[in-house]
Amino acid sequence: MKCLIVFGLIVAAFAALGGYGYLVFTDLVKPLPKPEFNDNTYWGPGEEKDYKPDTKIYEFKLDVPQAEIDDLRQQLNRTLKLTEPLDGIAFEYGFNTYALEQFVEYWREKYLTKWDERQELFNSLKQYTTEIQGLNIHYIHEKASEEAAARKHVYPVLLLHGWPGSVREFYDFIPMLTKDQNISDYAFDVVAPSLVGYGWSDPATRPGFNAAEMATVMRNLMLRLGHKQFFVQGGDWGSIIGSNLATLYPENVIGYHSNMCVLNSPLAILKGIYASFYPEKYLPSRFFVDHHFPVWEKYLELLKESGYFHIQATKPDTIGAALTSSPVGLASYILEKFQTCTNPGLQQDFGAIVTVFGLETVLDNLMVYYLTNSATTAARFYLENVSKTYRDLQLDRVQTPVPMGCARFRFDLPSVTDWQLRDKFPNLKHSMYFQQGSHFAALEMPAMLYNDFTIFVRKLGLHGEENI
Amino acid sequence: MAKIFMGLLVIGLALLAAIVSKKYQDLQAPGERPELDITAYWGPKLKEPYRENQAILPFDISVKPEVIADLKVQLSRPLKAQEPLEGVGFQYGFNAKELGKMVKYWRDIYLNKWSKREEYLKKFDHFQTEIQGLKIHFIHVKPNLEKNQKPKKVLPLLLMHGWPGTVRKFYDFIPLLTTPSDKSEYVFEVIAPSLPGYGWSQGSSKTGFGVAQMAVVMRNLMLRLGFEKFLIQGGDAGSAIGSNLAALFPENVLGYHSNMCMNSSPLGSIKLVLSSFFPSWFVDTEYADFYKGLGHFLGVVLEEMGYFHIQASKPDTIGNALIDNPVGLASYILEKFSTWTNTEYKGRSDGGLTQRFTYDQLLDNVMIYYVTNSITTSMRLYAEYATEDQFSSKVDSIPILAKAGCTRFRHEINHFPDSVLANKFLNLVHSTHHAEGGHFPAFEVPQQLYDDFINYVKKANF
Repeated sequence: MKCLIVFGLIVAAFAALGGYGYLVFTDLVKPLPKPEFNDNTYWGPGEEKDYKPDTKIYEFKLDVPQAEIDDLRQQLNRTLKLTEPLDGIAFEYGFNTYALEQFVEYWREKYLTKWDERQELFNSLKQYTTEIQGLNIHYIHEKASEEAAARKHVYPVLLLHGWPGSVREFYDFIPMLTKDQNISDYAFDVVAPSLVGYGWSDPATRPGFNAAEMATVMRNLMLRLGHKQFFVQGGDWGSIIGSNLATLYPENVIGYHSNMCVLNSPLAILKGIYASFYPEKYLPSRFFVDHHFPVWEKYLELLKESGYFHIQATKPDTIGAALTSSPVGLASYILEKFQTCTNPGLQQDFGAIVTVFGLETVLDNLMVYYLTNSATTAARFYLENVSKTYRDLQLDRVQTPVPMGCARFRFDLPSVTDWQLRDKFPNLKHSMYFQQGSHFAALEMPAMLYNDFTIFVRKLGLHGEENI
Repeated sequence: MAKIFMGLLVIGLALLAAIVSKKYQDLQAPGERPELDITAYWGPKLKEPYRENQAILPFDISVKPEVIADLKVQLSRPLKAQEPLEGVGFQYGFNAKELGKMVKYWRDIYLNKWSKREEYLKKFDHFQTEIQGLKIHFIHVKPNLEKNQKPKKVLPLLLMHGWPGTVRKFYDFIPLLTTPSDKSEYVFEVIAPSLPGYGWSQGSSKTGFGVAQMAVVMRNLMLRLGFEKFLIQGGDAGSAIGSNLAALFPENVLGYHSNMCMNSSPLGSIKLVLSSFFPSWFVDTEYADFYKGLGHFLGVVLEEMGYFHIQASKPDTIGNALIDNPVGLASYILEKFSTWTNTEYKGRSDGGLTQRFTYDQLLDNVMIYYVTNSITTSMRLYAEYATEDQFSSKVDSIPILAKAGCTRFRHEINHFPDSVLANKFLNLVHSTHHAEGGHFPAFEVPQQLYDDFINYVKKANF
C-alpha cells in the first residue's frame, strides 16, 4: 500500500513537471501580436522641439577633394610594419599579411590614380538626400527606363545593404531591375539608401537606433518619395531590416525578398534542432542538406567567423576608433569578410577576392567606409540590435501576412528551412536553393539574384499570372 | 506490482549513483604528464640545422628618434574617431572624447619628454638570450642587499605579465620585491621577461605555440640563468603560463602565486558552473559578494570577451589593423585598463582611467606594443589557445603540487573559489581577498600585491 502511494506520488510529480513544461513551451512558441511602435521618433541632434523639418529632396553627387585622395595615398605609402604570417598559413589566422600588402599597393598605385573614373562610376546612378526623422538619408533613386516603363508593370523596390557592404553592392543589380530584360513582365523604380550610420547617411546621435527604427526610417523614406506600397529586397542587415519593415508596416510592403533568410525565435531554434535529425524530411531535396546541417558544424563555423560581431556588439567605439585611424587597418578588417564570404576564399585561395568580385569593386566598397568615416557608426548598429530594448520587441515571433521570397546561396551564413520560415511568413510564396554563391549575392551573381527576385514577383500573381 | 516497480526504481537509482561516482573519481584523478619536446624550435625556417646561441647579452631598448618623430606626425593628424553618443561613457567602448584627450597628451606632453620615459624604462637592467630559436627579452633585478642590514633569504622569482600588459606593469612592484623590508625575512631576485611575441621578445614563426609551449620556453629561460628552482608570480596570461609551468615541471617550481588562479580541468569546469548556480554552497559567506553567480558570469563573458573572440579566431586581421595605428592601439589596449580595473568605470565618460593610473603609466605600456610592433604576435596566443589540442587539455588536468597562493582583487572579472580550485591546487597554503583592486594589481596596487605575496611566502615557509 505504501509502495503504491510513493509510486503514485512520483508519477504525479513527473506529470506536474510535464504539465508545467508544456505550458512553458506553448508560451515560448506562440506567435506574438505586432507591437506598438512609434513611427515618427526624432533621431537628429539636439532637442526635437528645436527641430525644423526639411522635406525637400536634394541631388547628391560624390565629389571628393583631390587633397583627400592625395592624403590617403600618402598614408598608404607608409612603410608597412605588418607581421609575417606563420609558416604554412594562408587565411586561417585572419587576413593574410602578404595579400594585404598587395591590396595596399594596388589601392595606392592603380586604384587611386584613376579615382576620377571610380567617382564617375559612383555618380552613374542618380543619387539624392532627404531628411527623415531628423536624419539626412542618402539614397540612389533610379526609375525604370522609358522603354521598360512603356511595356512592363512598374513597381517600386527598396534595396537594403548590410555590413560591410554599401550601396555599391547594387551597381550591377540596379540596371537589371530598371531596364527591359525581356524575361520578365516587370520593371522597377529602385530606391537604394545608405543605411543610417553607413555611407553618406547621417548616424543617430543617441543610443537606441536599432533595426526596428531603421525599418521605420526606410519606410518613411519610401513614403516621402511617394511610394505607399513597394517591394523590399535585402541581404545581411538588409534582410533583417526588410523583415522588420514587413512586420511593422505590412500595409506598405507588397512583397519581401531576402537572400539571407534567418530566424531566431525560440520555435525556429527548436525546429532547427528537431529537423537536424530528419533533414531530408524538411527540405525539398537531399542535395540541400548541407545548407543547414549538421547544426553543430554550422555553429562552429559561425563561431569562427563572428569575432567581429562580438566586438562590434559590445565595444563598437573601441574598434571604430581603430578602423577610422588607419586605412590599412580598415582594409585588413573589411577585406577579410570579402575573402571568407566566398567559396574559394574558404579554401584559402589567395585569388578569391579578385576572381569573385574584382579588385576595383571591393576597393570601391572600402572607399565608401573610408570617405564617410562610418566604421564606428556602422559598428554601433550591432550593439543596438543585441540590446534589451530591441530583443524585447521579439519581432521574430510576430507573424506578417506579407508575401515572402527566400533565396539561399550555398556559401552564405546558414539560413533556416521553409518549415521554420512559415511560422513568421505564412505567405511564403517562393523558396530557392542555389548551389553556388555566397553572402554578397547582388555583387557576385546579380543576374541570378535578379532572376530569383522577378520569379518571386511573378508568383504574387499581381496581374493575374497563373501559379507557376 | 508496486513492489516490482519500487525495486526497479531502486536498482536504477543505485546504478546511476555508481556511474556518477565512478565518473567523479575519473574526473578527480590527476592527468598524466603528456609527451613534451623541451627543445622544440620555434624560429623562422633555416637552411642549416639550428644551433642555439646561449649567450646572455645586455639589451638596449632605446627607440630610434625617427620612430618618435614619425609617431608625433601621425598623432598630429586630425582625429577621425566618431563623437560618442549622447549620454554615453564607456558603455560602447573607448569614449572618443577621452581618446582625444589622451592623444593630445601623448603628442604634446608625453612624446616631448620621451627621453625621460625611456630613461625610466631603462632603470632596470635589460637582457636578451635565445631560447628554442626565439630571442627572449627580460629584466633581471638582483636584490639590493645592504651590509648593515639583517641578512635576508633570497629566492628567485619569475614574474610574468599578460595581455595587454608588458613588463612595464611591474616597475613599481619590482623595487618592493628586491628591497629588504622589515615585513619579510625574504627578498627576491626577479626575472621579468617579455612573453614571446610581446614587447621585445620574438614571436613564434610556427603554429602551435600556445600557453604550454610558452611555459617550456620560460622554464628553459630560468635554467639558462642558473635557477633550478624558482617561484612564479603572474596574472592573466602570466598566471596561465605559470600554472602550466608548475604542472609540467614540478621539479623546478618552488611555489606559485597568482592573482587569477584558475582550474580548467574538466572537474574544475563542472564545479565552476555549479558554483555559479549555487554560490553559497561553494564559498565563504564573508567574501560571498566576490562570487556573483551564473547570470553575472555569462553576462560578463558576453560583454567583455569580444576581444577574446576576435583574437582567438582572426588575430592577424585585428593585429594588422592595430600595427602602425597608434590611436587604434591606444583605444583597443587602454579600454581594458578602464573596464578590467573596475567595470563600473564604464559609466564614466573618462573611463575612470586616471582614478587608478597616470597617463604616463598607460602610455608607457602602449608605447612598448607600438615600438616593437608586437600586437599581432601577442594576439596569436589566443588563437593557439582556441585550437587547443589533446596536449593542452591534458596539462589542465595535471595538479600543481608546489605550495600555492591565490589572491583575489575585488574588481577582477571573475573569481574561482577555493573549493573549485581544489583538484588543481593540491597544496594551497594561502588564499586571500582584497576589497580593492582589479585585473592589474601589480600596476594598480603594487604595495597590496607585495604585502600579499610576502604573506604567502611566509606561510609557505620555503
